Amino acid sequence: MIASVAFQRFKALRNAQLVLGPFNLVIGPNGSGKTSLIEALLRLRLLAKLPLRSVVAETERTLEGPEITFRFSPPFDGLEARLSCVSDQVCDLLQVAPRPKGEGSNDWPGLRSRVLRIRGYVLDHHAIAAPAVAKEGAELNASAGNLAAVLATRQAHHPAAFDRLVADFTRIAPEFTEIGTELGEDGRVRFRLRLKEEDTWIEPDNVSQGTLYLLAMITLAHDPDPPSIVCIEEIDRGIHPRMLREVRDVLYRLSYPAAFGETRTPVQLIATTHSPYLLDLFCEHPEEVVISAKHGATATFSRLTDRPDITEMLAESPLGDMWYSGVLGGVPENE
Amino acid sequence: MNVALLSESPADEAALRLLVEAVLQRPIRRIEPALRARGWPNVAQVLPAILRHLHFNTDAHALVVVVDADDSVVHAADHDRPGYFHPRCRMCQLRAVFRQTTKKLPAARGRERVLRGVGVAVPAIEAWYLAGRDPEVTELAWTEGQQRGRLPYTRAQLKYRVYGTDRPTLPHEIDCALREIRRHHGDVRRIEHDHPGFASLARDLRGWFPGPVAFEGQSGKVPVTDIKI
Ligand SMILES: [Zn+2]
Repeated sequence: MIASVAFQRFKALRNAQLVLGPFNLVIGPNGSGKTSLIEALLRLRLLAKLPLRSVVAETERTLEGPEITFRFSPPFDGLEARLSCVSDQVCDLLQVAPRPKGEGSNDWPGLRSRVLRIRGYVLDHHAIAAPAVAKEGAELNASAGNLAAVLATRQAHHPAAFDRLVADFTRIAPEFTEIGTELGEDGRVRFRLRLKEEDTWIEPDNVSQGTLYLLAMITLAHDPDPPSIVCIEEIDRGIHPRMLREVRDVLYRLSYPAAFGETRTPVQLIATTHSPYLLDLFCEHPEEVVISAKHGATATFSRLTDRPDITEMLAESPLGDMWYSGVLGGVPENE
Repeated sequence: MNVALLSESPADEAALRLLVEAVLQRPIRRIEPALRARGWPNVAQVLPAILRHLHFNTDAHALVVVVDADDSVVHAADHDRPGYFHPRCRMCQLRAVFRQTTKKLPAARGRERVLRGVGVAVPAIEAWYLAGRDPEVTELAWTEGQQRGRLPYTRAQLKYRVYGTDRPTLPHEIDCALREIRRHHGDVRRIEHDHPGFASLARDLRGWFPGPVAFEGQSGKVPVTDIKI
């Protein structure tokens, strides 16, 4: 949906551009702009909630402030969205302008409805394990802290989708056979997992972090009405290296529904990782890997496939080893 | 027969197990936990430690390793001459690691050494899966393509032909791999014929049993005498 983002003076992204694909795995050292990229998308959503302001004269804008320009893929490639500042260093002005070419130049309402469906996640296993207010289960929130409510809602309103979710989860985590939800008198929902071996139920606070993150991601991947864009940080967190293939595939389900026999609109995905083992799994699709690099106080983005020698490089070593070695960039400058 | 399988994924492992059982004409008991490597050159790097572990700490009779050739030099008959090994051929390299590692280990657990089974899929294991289905996919076609400087197909194309997508899920990958191998009904001569990198593995496996080779192909299942190793 978002075709490209260009940054000017936005935190460490002094002058950086990035073309986005359906699935984007961003790797790089801490502070190299991975989170800033996600912040920019969430800020676009935030400002899109407000009524659009008419074009503001340059004299009214703080020209030395940050500016972020978004371009979109068809059917919205006829529009450009720009975040800039009126008064301070925080991007608080959204302007949408037609581009000389492309579709949908007068369809800001259509694009806006998609922009409002951008979601960012930083999963929190404590929150995931906690009971959730039953009526807040329409969609997963940023920490997945309402997972119990989402599971209960899914089970009640989309039983087939719930069954697919459970089937996928119990296949990937075969120590469990069932996901149960229970509404308490306090109006909160709790979920629990049935253990295969002892045939007993286990509470989520006794389930490993990685398993809870996996369940949250699977719940997202089987959402019958998923977000337009999913930004998710540290997708490898808490997950055994041998299980990372499943994590990748769970998220691929969102971005490439046709490959999974699904017909819904693809979800654009922006994920970050620090795992070389996860990166290994992208050797056949290096175009999905974005490297964020930091030089002094300045961060930039590049695609792995921007390198002319990437085919030869991939023939030599696992991608993760190459990244760790430094030859791909995206490593800390000083240790 | 206790066999350890070293592979890159659960899909490769499931396929490999079927292939090994087809060649041996008997079920194997797989050594747990499943062994994994992260592709080349990681397989060769981790192999000495794996051999040492299997030798001293397990009741493995044998280790089977299969790697993809990718764009490396394909093993050829002239690599087999005594004392020679091609430094950029993965078959030669893996055999050398086996040789060098096992000769240093003293006998343990009632056996001299863990037996070797090495195969190289050219250019990837999906080529083996396509044997008998896609006649243009052979090791010869690949090596001729390498010599001409124009490869007949890419690894990505092979994967697409097997899985019908370039992003198969693991269960789909396993289903497709097993379906293709079961197509041969336990007679793997076609794969051996089209893929010398598989034939080498089959020869290794049959060499585990002393005496005349008991395998006689499809004319009749010749039972392999149970051999105590
Ligand atoms: Zn060789």
